[in-house]
Amino acid sequence: MGQKISFLKALNEAMAEEMRRDPSVFVLGQDVRIGVFGQTRGLVSEFGEERILNTPIAENAMVGAAIGAAMNGMRPVLELMFGDFLLMTMDQVCNNLAQWRYITGAQYEMPVVIRAAMGGGSRSAYGHSQCVESQLIQTPGLIVAIPSTPHDAKGLLKTAIRSNDPVVFVEHKRLILSPLKQEVPDEDFTVPFGKAAVRREGSDVTIVAVGFMVTKALYAAEKLAREGIEAEVIDPRTIVPLDTDTIFDSVEKTGRLVTVEESRIRGGVGAEISALACSDYFSCLKAPVRRVAAPMVPVPGGPILEDLYLPNEDSIVRAVRQIV
Amino acid sequence: MALEDDTLREMYRRMILVRFMEEAHQKLAREGRIHVNPHLGTGQEAVAIGVTGPLRKSDILFGTHRGVGEYIGKGMTPKDIWTEYLEKRTGLCKGKATQHLADRGNNIPGLAACLGSDFSMAVGTALASKMRKLDQVTMFYVGEGSCNEGDANPSMCMAALWKLPVIFAICNNQYCEMSHMREHFPTEDVAPRAAGYDIPFEIVDGQDIETTYEATQRAIAHARTAKGPYVVEYKTFRMAPHYAADSAKYVPKEDLAAWAKRDPIDLARTKILERRILTETQDEELRDQLRDEVAAALEAAFAEPDPGIGDLFEDVYA
Repeated sequence: MGQKISFLKALNEAMAEEMRRDPSVFVLGQDVRIGVFGQTRGLVSEFGEERILNTPIAENAMVGAAIGAAMNGMRPVLELMFGDFLLMTMDQVCNNLAQWRYITGAQYEMPVVIRAAMGGGSRSAYGHSQCVESQLIQTPGLIVAIPSTPHDAKGLLKTAIRSNDPVVFVEHKRLILSPLKQEVPDEDFTVPFGKAAVRREGSDVTIVAVGFMVTKALYAAEKLAREGIEAEVIDPRTIVPLDTDTIFDSVEKTGRLVTVEESRIRGGVGAEISALACSDYFSCLKAPVRRVAAPMVPVPGGPILEDLYLPNEDSIVRAVRQIV
Repeated sequence: MALEDDTLREMYRRMILVRFMEEAHQKLAREGRIHVNPHLGTGQEAVAIGVTGPLRKSDILFGTHRGVGEYIGKGMTPKDIWTEYLEKRTGLCKGKATQHLADRGNNIPGLAACLGSDFSMAVGTALASKMRKLDQVTMFYVGEGSCNEGDANPSMCMAALWKLPVIFAICNNQYCEMSHMREHFPTEDVAPRAAGYDIPFEIVDGQDIETTYEATQRAIAHARTAKGPYVVEYKTFRMAPHYAADSAKYVPKEDLAAWAKRDPIDLARTKILERRILTETQDEELRDQLRDEVAAALEAAFAEPDPGIGDLFEDVYA
């Protein structure tokens, strides 16, 4: 095995390695030569200003430019500094990027990665704190990757950059800023799309947690274990495609399901997994499904209300206790 | 300046072909034999053909949903257009694009259905040309109405900032869907916006094929020599309604009559006859031949297979 690296370093290494192996890969975004959160920091010294391209502040047009570059032989990796800014780009992302291959009869593929930092906890209020990944699952043609560990951040981002279909790559700010390190292989490796990871085995309840919420779910599982409840924690790693086999193999074993996400509850990832449980796996359920997610309110700016807004290990523990 | 005889004759041929294609489309729509609603470019042929005429096959074109002019001009065949319009599974876009034509072989990446979104795509293709050191320009052909979309502003900014080989060719037909441009613009001209980005621009007559062609040549020469983007606004008039169901009563009859006197095909015909590039008899023969070509392509396209349920689910990551 190789060295231990942080989530941030994992993203940086993935981009650097892919740029070394493929000259058509380049990075663009606002202040990527500096790297505001640090994912792209230092890349400009190796790859030059042409391949680490600072753009004006114009998110929708940045995505359009990435689409155009992909139409003409390049593989752009676009950084949107905050996931909230994805909502400024819904025309390009949902109407064009996601659907261009289909609408042109596969004459044009869309090897575009959009990386976006999401999530709360930094007291940045409504337009710099949201998790918006669940808003993307309604659009056909988009892959949505959401890593929770340094290993997966690196392996999934490399897979994303090699994908000929567009990927929205979610980087939770709490993970970007986390000092925690994890060993990753020295050699080239990738993590496939649509393959969930079982983070903890258990027989009493299945917790499907997305992105940063995997960390919270694992804390919750430790608390529950002290009460004699053994939770199985599943990290889907990509929400499109969704590894329903791994999720529902677990539900068949435990008979109980809790979903956890930091995006909002209505029509979210948990709603989709719950609907699948009701329609396809109803007979394995011994109890109602519980969804832990952000409430249907804007993200408040201050620490008191934001902490009440965000799902955490206690809300996960409460949800599990309700059905076990 | 005058175009070479061969060039003028070829542009004249293309303009007539476009007119006949669109007349055939209109007829099919009236007969209920085609689902693509005709958004015709009648009267704008000298713009669409003049904008595409000087392009190379390796150059990239983004077109509009209005008529087939720029697509014919960039090399699409009548058969390929009909096959796509008629939703045939053998169409270049497998019948899924219909009027949003794309043709990779001719470097036509397609058309954003939400107008103006492709402004920035043209910046992207030109950026890739520059990064890959290709001798290639991107022609972004757009109606004046779409220039009010949000993407126009940052796209011109980025194109100028990065000195990209892209031409913004604005076909100003004076009507934005169902209202005159005076309800959309505080100015008569759109191109002067380019000055705000230090992009050179021209405003030219859109009815005379020699004028449109030569303005495009100047724009391409600028872009191809790494000097950055260029804007040309071609003044023309939309003789057709917005689409088939539009009675276009909002267009003054006297305006239609005035612009009909400067029909681009008639203007070109006068030059062609005066310069003896064609005789009247040869002109008639050319038109007969083009009518036959349109009809034969249409018949061949109708014979192509329809898509099925399998095609619905192909070519998208789901």
